Amino acid sequence: MEPNLGTIARSISIRPNREETGLESLQFREEIHRLMIVPPENGSSFTALLELPETQAMELLHSPHSDKGVTVPLSGVPLHGINDDHKSYLPSFNGNLTFPSNKVLIERAAKFSVFASGEHSPETSSVPSDSSANLEKVKSEPADTDSNPNSSQLLVSDPTVNIKNQRSEKRKEREKKGKGCTKKTKIEISQDAEKLPYVHVRARRGQATDSHSLAERARREKINARMKLLQELVPGCSKISGTALVLDEIINHVQSLQRQVELLSMRLASVNPRIDFNLDSLFAPESGSLVDSNFSSMVSPLLWPEIPFNGNRQQHQQQWNFDALHRPLWGREEDSHTFITMENSLLSYDSANSASLHSNQLKMEL
Amino acid sequence: MASSISETNFEESKRIKRRKTGDELRDPDTIDRTRWRSESEQRIYSTKLFEAIRQVRRNSSPVNKVSSGRDIQDAADRVLAVAAKGRTRWSRAILASRLRLRLAHNNKKHKKARVAKVTGSIRSKMPEKKRFIPALQRKVKVLSRLVPGCRKVSFPNLLEETTDYISALEMQVRAMTALTELLTGSPVDRLASTSVS
Repeated sequence: MEPNLGTIARSISIRPNREETGLESLQFREEIHRLMIVPPENGSSFTALLELPETQAMELLHSPHSDKGVTVPLSGVPLHGINDDHKSYLPSFNGNLTFPSNKVLIERAAKFSVFASGEHSPETSSVPSDSSANLEKVKSEPADTDSNPNSSQLLVSDPTVNIKNQRSEKRKEREKKGKGCTKKTKIEISQDAEKLPYVHVRARRGQATDSHSLAERARREKINARMKLLQELVPGCSKISGTALVLDEIINHVQSLQRQVELLSMRLASVNPRIDFNLDSLFAPESGSLVDSNFSSMVSPLLWPEIPFNGNRQQHQQQWNFDALHRPLWGREEDSHTFITMENSLLSYDSANSASLHSNQLKMEL
Repeated sequence: MASSISETNFEESKRIKRRKTGDELRDPDTIDRTRWRSESEQRIYSTKLFEAIRQVRRNSSPVNKVSSGRDIQDAADRVLAVAAKGRTRWSRAILASRLRLRLAHNNKKHKKARVAKVTGSIRSKMPEKKRFIPALQRKVKVLSRLVPGCRKVSFPNLLEETTDYISALEMQVRAMTALTELLTGSPVDRLASTSVS
């Protein structure tokens, strides 16, 4: 009886093991199915990952600690659907599957997946890389924290190779690329900086990366850009090097321009009374005195604004007075006979009808 | 295509917010180079200048006999500031100073309290700043005194204001030269005008 009991007991003890293993396998199958079902809700293709591990997991179940070093060809592994739910599942998989067990990385990957909003692997592979490039450009992060998003992005963007090696390789590549094309990014950044108050600068190779020096560098570049513009503007400044001398030149130029304006204004103030005295000379046709090309172009626009300006006055008289002001000037370029006809026409409109009156009125205008 | 989609809502909202709070001066940066050089701008300026001169004469002739050069210069500067459309600090300062003079003139009788000057200086929030050598600092001060309304302005903004101011001044000189030539009927010697008489 007893051996029967023992055998029964043993059999019973053995069976639960088998049952347990069976149960375990069942559990695993359930988990896998759950994983397969849930990801499609999130729009990720975790099933691709699971297809292989599904079969392999069964093998691994029976030989849990195999030293195969399973390199799971993760075709189309975008870890998009990785939520907190999945995190608990991942450790349950074999440790041979080199998944990012780091929770931070997974969260970051989840975040970036939210940004990427892509479903298919090729799209998502390009999209997160772009978004990561944008983020790299935009955020001035120290190199250390850059590695984490890089690695997570790498996981997303490169599915077909072993993760671990790929991670380190791509990180180096990406950093090199980032450093190599800093010039381009910096130019873009400086162009953006012109529009935005915040300047985002990426540290160049071999330069300090703390926020103070970055800010200083941005500020210095702003100043240098503006100095360049000024140098182009001021004649003879592009040869000079050094801020002090350039500033000297700029100051001299501004002072000379202001002096010119002062002189010209004095001249203008002194010129106009001359017109009052020399109105007869204006009427007399003088040949070739005013040959300026801008002459007619200046006079004609001068003509039109005058008329609406004098809306408040007695219109007709004043309008023709303005014509009288401008047309004699205009008429200098024309033939004398046409000038005389114009003057006659002016006189015919004016009630006073004398040249002297014209001159008086012209005096009044100025 | 995918990259444009990747411009996330998060980043877009950031950028839009930044644009709203952005500096106004940054936008005319690209316009500045051609703004004061165009023929039309000069024509507009000389038109308004002519009107202004005539108005000055009309206002001053009953009081004085001859309008002084100073008045004409003030009128020219005012018209220049108007032509700048108020985008630059120096133009606003010129216009504001005339208003302030008028206010002061009116308030002298009534003995009102003086209106405090508002000179804003946009200080960056970055803690580290470039320290200027005293020689440079002096020159920066001189330049800031030359450009109207730019006494307490930071160095990069001062440079920007100077750029615009120099181009505007050049246009003013061109326009006034042409106007003088037109009115006097004799070409004005540029070299002679640069020397102080």
